[in-house]
Amino acid sequence: MISKQTPLRTLRGQRHTACGFSRAFSSSTGTLRSEDKVTVHFINRDGEKITTEGKIGDSLLDVVVNKNLDIDGFGACEGTLACSTCHLIFDENIFKQLDPVTDEEMDMLDLAYGLTETSRLGCQICLSKSMNGMTVSVPEGVADVRQAADMGLTPS
Amino acid sequence: MSIFTNILQNSCRKTLLLEPESFHMLCNVANFHRLPKLSSQAPAAEEKVLPEMLMQPQARPKEGRVKSLKEMPGPKTFTNLVEFFWRDGFSRIHEIQQQHTKQYGKIFKSHFGPQFVVSIADKDMVAQVLRAESEAPQRANMESWKEYRDLRGRATGLISAEGQDWLKMRSVLRQKIMKPKDVAVFSSDVNAVVTDLIKRIHSLRSQAADGKTVNNINDLYFKYAMEGVASILYEARLGCLQSEIPQQSLEYIAALHLMFSMFKTTMYAGAIPKWLRIIIPKPWIEFCNSWDGLFKFSQIHVDKKLSEIQAQLDAGEEVEGGLLTHLLVSKEMTVEEIYANMTEMLLAGVDTTSFTLSWSSYLLARHPQVQQAVYDEVVRNLGRYQAPIAEDISQLPLIRGVVKETLRLFPVLPGNGRVMHEDMVVGGYLIPKGTQLALCHYSTSYEDECFPAALEFRPERWVRKDNMDRVDNFGSIPFGYGIRSCIGKRVAELELHLALVQMLQNFRIDVSPHSKPVHAKTHGLLSPAAPINLRFVDRE
Repeated sequence: MISKQTPLRTLRGQRHTACGFSRAFSSSTGTLRSEDKVTVHFINRDGEKITTEGKIGDSLLDVVVNKNLDIDGFGACEGTLACSTCHLIFDENIFKQLDPVTDEEMDMLDLAYGLTETSRLGCQICLSKSMNGMTVSVPEGVADVRQAADMGLTPS
Repeated sequence: MSIFTNILQNSCRKTLLLEPESFHMLCNVANFHRLPKLSSQAPAAEEKVLPEMLMQPQARPKEGRVKSLKEMPGPKTFTNLVEFFWRDGFSRIHEIQQQHTKQYGKIFKSHFGPQFVVSIADKDMVAQVLRAESEAPQRANMESWKEYRDLRGRATGLISAEGQDWLKMRSVLRQKIMKPKDVAVFSSDVNAVVTDLIKRIHSLRSQAADGKTVNNINDLYFKYAMEGVASILYEARLGCLQSEIPQQSLEYIAALHLMFSMFKTTMYAGAIPKWLRIIIPKPWIEFCNSWDGLFKFSQIHVDKKLSEIQAQLDAGEEVEGGLLTHLLVSKEMTVEEIYANMTEMLLAGVDTTSFTLSWSSYLLARHPQVQQAVYDEVVRNLGRYQAPIAEDISQLPLIRGVVKETLRLFPVLPGNGRVMHEDMVVGGYLIPKGTQLALCHYSTSYEDECFPAALEFRPERWVRKDNMDRVDNFGSIPFGYGIRSCIGKRVAELELHLALVQMLQNFRIDVSPHSKPVHAKTHGLLSPAAPINLRFVDRE
């Protein structure tokens, strides 16, 4: 039997993410030492590369929210595993090292648009030191595909 | 699986249907991939030619132009009136959904008096609509609910609220009861209720002539579901599984039954003009009476918790507790908002869970070989006597499969609703902003192209061969998808999984020899049309 945790311990202004307790406010990240942070590159839908830093232990959704990255519609359900809008595509070597996927995440991945074999939900991926310098891609959106198809560039 | 290659292909041609919007389940989606804004015009817009690039490949009609609603097929208004009001189509909404899909195609229009509805019975179109949602999606017109609340000075809750009011409350509540990790801590509370359920089964069957049968199992599961959801929402036990149910809980059950017995009238109460209430006052009066009963019950439990907290604070004690305690202490919502949300979440969390548990027990009883395989899996992983907790369920993929397969065959909400927040081209038709959509989950769930051998109960179809195995499953989304999906999904899954495992550990479930096959009827929710009588036989 597990002991009952009290949600009360989640103080106001904190979000209990897949990675544990994390600050909703990023103000204190400025005081972190550089070794507590890792660099992450996001390739946005338009191909633009966004390079940013995240705190070890934060989820990739936390990084996008805290750094206010301009990724349209990302993380709509705030990490509660009700949608798949924080879908990200990883390089194979990083993908293999990620924490195991849960049933609930797999169920939501089933509903993700543009799924690949190295897809995961950003809200479930917690930054670790070994991820320093990794690149993750935001899958193309429905609108992008429509335009590509129209130009005879229908993806397979 | 096929999803990798099929993303853009239009597979799964189906049906459609219409469906009413029922309460329950707070459904959905995200501000994602929107189509460019076209214009905001009234429904029944004139035909409009759009640039090709605005359309999804699957949405492109052969003629290469976008069609208007006028060109959309569908039953005649008069035919529909006869079907529903004369031939009691309301109880067959799920079947009419399938029938209309076969007749008119996967997208069609219907009129219900003043209400115009476009039905969509295709998993790709459903996906398109849900993926394009705004930040605060609207399910249906909830005017009658809002009117009651205004009349009594009550707040709206997750089901009845819209826009920013809804989003604010959803943001608070989803951080407490949606994440699997947060819900897993309720395992011991739910198990305590399951223990009482098992005891009650023993007690009830001992009163039967054969010492094994429990008649009308949904009656028992209703009490289990109510007790379970209340233990999480109110952090309190109601006593529904005792042989003598406390008066207060009986009164609540009566109010709940009144609410559902009025489904037909209240559902469309909003569609009945207010002036008609002078001539036909009963539906509105009963509607208000049942809400009075539901609110009263919530208020009693919330106020009780509030005074307990006050006493602890006065005594200088540290206040600890669960969901309700947190809401009352954090003051992220007003007390009126807490009353409203507790009322609406309890309302949404009882029949939905009990019907699903009834159907899954029934299906397992009707399929002894499947039941044996599920039981073997439980014994292999947990043994016969160890009560499961949430974390164990990942080792029991067939139990998850049973729940998913049950909800595919008997989705408690046979359809869901969405009000278009902007113009969009769906299935080749321009659907103007403000149009009421019916997403026909019942029809898509029975499509062979989505689910091979769709009529058969096969929980193993949901079991993944490995972590890379994907199921393209927009054809069956019983809890909805996205930011307005059912907020009680994880709680419901926990209640269903834990109860099923322990019932199977204790009993072999058989159909009573005197039972005839039970079909479904729509009564707000998809429910058993006749009592389900089951035999609970001790495991050797």
